[in-house]
Amino acid sequence: MVCAGMLLLLVIVFVISSVVGAQKLSLSGALCALTGKASCSLSAEERAILFDIRLPRILLAGAVGTCLAAAGAAYQALLRNPLAEPYLLGVSNGAAVGTMVALVFFGAHEWGRPVMAFGGAIAATFLVYRLARGRAGASPERLILAGVIVTTFLSSAIVFITTVMDATRIRSFTFWLLGDLSGTTSSLLTVAFIAAAVGVIALVMNARALNLMMLGERDAFDLGVEIGRVRLIVFAAASLLVGASVASSGSVGYVGLVVPHLVRLSFGSDNRLVIPAAAIAGATFVIVADTLARTVIAPRELPVGAITALIGAPLFVYLLKRGTAAVV
Amino acid sequence: MRSSRAALVGALQILALAFAATLSCSCSRPQLSSQTTATTHEVTDEAGRHVTLPVKIDRIVSLAPNLTEIVYAVGAGDRLVGRTSYCDYPPQAKSVTEVGDTLHPSVERVIALKPQVVLVSTASQLENFTRQLDEQKIAVYVTNPQSLDQVFASIEKLGNLFGKSDVAAKLLDDLRRRAKTVESATAPLKPVRVFYQVSDQPLYTIGRDAYLTDLIKRAGGISVTADVPTAFPRFSDEAALASKPDAIILPTGGSMGNANATVAPALKNSPAVRDNRVYKINDDLLSRPGPRLVDGLEQLARTLHPESFK
Repeated sequence: MVCAGMLLLLVIVFVISSVVGAQKLSLSGALCALTGKASCSLSAEERAILFDIRLPRILLAGAVGTCLAAAGAAYQALLRNPLAEPYLLGVSNGAAVGTMVALVFFGAHEWGRPVMAFGGAIAATFLVYRLARGRAGASPERLILAGVIVTTFLSSAIVFITTVMDATRIRSFTFWLLGDLSGTTSSLLTVAFIAAAVGVIALVMNARALNLMMLGERDAFDLGVEIGRVRLIVFAAASLLVGASVASSGSVGYVGLVVPHLVRLSFGSDNRLVIPAAAIAGATFVIVADTLARTVIAPRELPVGAITALIGAPLFVYLLKRGTAAVV
Repeated sequence: MRSSRAALVGALQILALAFAATLSCSCSRPQLSSQTTATTHEVTDEAGRHVTLPVKIDRIVSLAPNLTEIVYAVGAGDRLVGRTSYCDYPPQAKSVTEVGDTLHPSVERVIALKPQVVLVSTASQLENFTRQLDEQKIAVYVTNPQSLDQVFASIEKLGNLFGKSDVAAKLLDDLRRRAKTVESATAPLKPVRVFYQVSDQPLYTIGRDAYLTDLIKRAGGISVTADVPTAFPRFSDEAALASKPDAIILPTGGSMGNANATVAPALKNSPAVRDNRVYKINDDLLSRPGPRLVDGLEQLARTLHPESFK
């Protein structure tokens, strides 16, 4: 029921964002074209603007939002840590390093980027997890510290790669690192959608186990949860989600932190609801942010990551102040 | 426990050494030659800053390739003591000491070269760096041309600063005459609607404040992004598609190598691509607002109006 309402909201946002843009299209014409009719009052290049440029970008924004929000929700539940988030854990930076290595060494192959990004994300995830596990198990503080260490280390690696790289390519990389949804290709879009679907389904299938693991790993074990297997699947699925989103759009920050918390504050912390709801809300959130990024100073553009942080942070503070306890 | 204490002692030793090194550096700071020059005068640079410069300048560091080209063109090349890794023209510039690239010059190297003036182009964002040089009492002179006339003015001013106004005047006579020839040929022609692609991914173009917008106009074209604020805006794909340019200019093949050699996806179906009017021009002639910009103007005009330049 909740998910149906949120899906409706997503559809509304999708339609609104596809009729606004740097280039004005007639409202009736655009709406008519969206329904799939060929005989609408749009010229050839208006159709091209709508279908070749605007729609792929909105679809990518949605996929990226879904990936990041679902991954954030999963990390928070699995690690029992409200601050666990792809960026704070260094997972995004791992994916970014993987993508850059792919671009430098196998620039020609479009599939190299997402594959290497996934590799980087999963390596960073397990590195952080191992670093965080002391003799007494992984405490929330140790986890965040480990994440900070891995994040800064990987940031230095990124700076190193951009510095030794060809100077003329640096500008496009720095822009990409800040999050850039423009100029997507159909194969990157396909990868992002497949990854989003596979990752979210894998997480939803483990949502009940995650609920039990939130009680504590011991209790979950006593209740019959195969902890090791669940952890492996959830880490792999979350890394897949983060890898796909970073490979296709760079680093769009704040989504994995803000969206799952908003969802929990609104609907409670049952992961069977939180994960799909975060996936839908994440898509909505990034689509709204990117629509602002491409329209506010049109025909110029803003980096979408700046918008997600600008909307996300105050919204988050407001909900915290309102007093609803954010229990993970 | 023991190992952590050893590590602590080691760290303290390193700190002590670093501290000692800092002290010795600050004691033996070299006297800079600019401070010993007797006669100075105050000039205003193109960012509106008041700069005190020696009347006779013998040591110049240039932090942009166009400025290096101007220094040589006005006959002061023998006084250039430092340049960036991008400064590759004229060829003899390559034998001058390198101080890093335009965005990350080494302040230490610049200071060690004891320049009396450091020439900076605002395009290369050097606020932080400028402050450090100011603290060292090394004058920083900023150029910021936004049209061909302002490029000529830069050349004239730099010629004056280096006591080479006669060489500069002769050079400018020639450059102005060539520009005039191009302009009188293109003036009666119908302007071609041009999209100037600075980079394809992400899409950057030229805006209101770019000298290239002016250059295209003189070459018998009109930039379809002439009204966009700022000089080099990050441009919307949708707006690029809707701009429907009749010609696309790709500055590439010079220092850029083969970067920016393909048309951005958003422009793939533009009239320019359909009519086969996508033109590559050596980026060194267009992206360096110096004497060779007139070569760029001539190439641009010949490219846009081949029938008028036979």
